[in-house]
Amino acid sequence: MAEQDEDSLIGYDPLAWMHRSDFNQDSRKAEVGESEVDSSTELASSTETASNLEIDLDQAPADASEPYASQGERAVLVLEPVLNIQNVSVLHQHLMQMLSNFEAIDIDASGVTMIDTANLQLLLILKQTAIGLQKSISIDFPSDKFIEASELLGIAEMLEVDQAASGFF
Amino acid sequence: MSARIVAVLNQKGGVGKTTTSVNLTHALAKLGKKITVIDFDPQSHLAVSLGSVDPQKSGIDKVLLEGVSLAEQSIPVRKNLNLVVAGPRLQEIEQLTDGGARRGDLLRRALLDGNRDEDFIFIDCPPSSGVLVANALFAADEILVPMTSDYLALQGLSHLVGTIKKFESALKRPYKFSLVMSRYIPTRRISKEVLSVIQKYFPGQILATAIRETALLAECPSFGKTIFEYRPGCRSARDFMALAEDFLQGRMM
Ligand SMILES: Nc1ncnc2c1ncn2[C@@H]1O[C@H](COP(=O)(O)OP(=O)(O)OP(=O)(O)O)[C@@H](O)[C@H]1O
Ligand SMILES: [Mg+2]
Repeated sequence: MAEQDEDSLIGYDPLAWMHRSDFNQDSRKAEVGESEVDSSTELASSTETASNLEIDLDQAPADASEPYASQGERAVLVLEPVLNIQNVSVLHQHLMQMLSNFEAIDIDASGVTMIDTANLQLLLILKQTAIGLQKSISIDFPSDKFIEASELLGIAEMLEVDQAASGFF
Repeated sequence: MSARIVAVLNQKGGVGKTTTSVNLTHALAKLGKKITVIDFDPQSHLAVSLGSVDPQKSGIDKVLLEGVSLAEQSIPVRKNLNLVVAGPRLQEIEQLTDGGARRGDLLRRALLDGNRDEDFIFIDCPPSSGVLVANALFAADEILVPMTSDYLALQGLSHLVGTIKKFESALKRPYKFSLVMSRYIPTRRISKEVLSVIQKYFPGQILATAIRETALLAECPSFGKTIFEYRPGCRSARDFMALAEDFLQGRMM
């Protein structure tokens, strides 16, 4: 992860995920072992299966001639409409598992009508964990309620919740 | 012939979007290309930089909100260069919440219309990532990203690339994508290091000429002049002319 040049002025490279997820998909096992995934967030791990959360691999677009159009291993997680303390551990478990299996996770927050502080904090912690692993978690299409809740908690910016891609597709 | 639509885009503020839009389009116009440049930022800095200062004058706002044609709102500001100002109501677009995908598609539909004869339409985007930027991304064929050479700019670029990828996969077409080093300080070591990181991820996608940071470039907007008028022949004027040639010929670092 560290730059090879000892003398470099650049520490953590925020663009590293581009190479990892798009340019050489095979290297993903190389550096980041699953054990590195930090589950110290103290959110109890539950054995329930989260059958209500969908995971599917994003389909690569037909025209993948440009590096941008090609998708590496991404997973999409669609959030439930109501996220409260009851589902936080299931969501936690699920996201940790996805984080160890995929380079990038797109969280579709378009259907969220209620989200509590615990769930928002979980998303924030996971996002930071992902950065540490040079992976990415992004929140797509956040609903107005999701945006409002994350702004209230003052973490909208850290979660990179923005409206560029929200509600258009 | 249809114009190439270029969005000058970076959600980070102050990176040189407007300076690039003003001086690159004027350089291209001087090289004989026909250009329309749209001030797509409610702050109206582009129009001011080109010497158009009436804040009440309508522009792209009326095109998007009332369906007036682009041609009707185009003002010739230099030879071969037309300007469409932002207009006082452009901010209303940013506030639109209804209309689903349609509110993102207003600009694209406005530009579809007809017998246009320009070679390029440039869109100077605001420093945000809301409805206006979505409109620019729906409309654009190409994205030109001005980049400063500091560390936090890399962080911003990472986020921007993520957004662009989402649009590409949703619209099912790749953009032509290039970067321009817009406020380059060659004497700083961090500048070179940031540049080399960018080169690693965007090989063949950084325009060959880096625009250096100079006092003259910071001065000319207040006079409503491009660098070619403010100080013809100066280093920055030469940088922008070289950049225009890079842009036309696809000359990359
Ligand atoms: N190469 C340069 N040398 C010196 N000053 C520059 C250079 N490029 C831009 N500037 C100055 O930096 C400031 C920000 O530039 P500019 O307005 O072009 O950025 P921007 O990305 O359009 O900003 P915003 O995000 O607010 O729209 C301006 O004062 C401009 O004059
Ligand atoms: Mg600007």
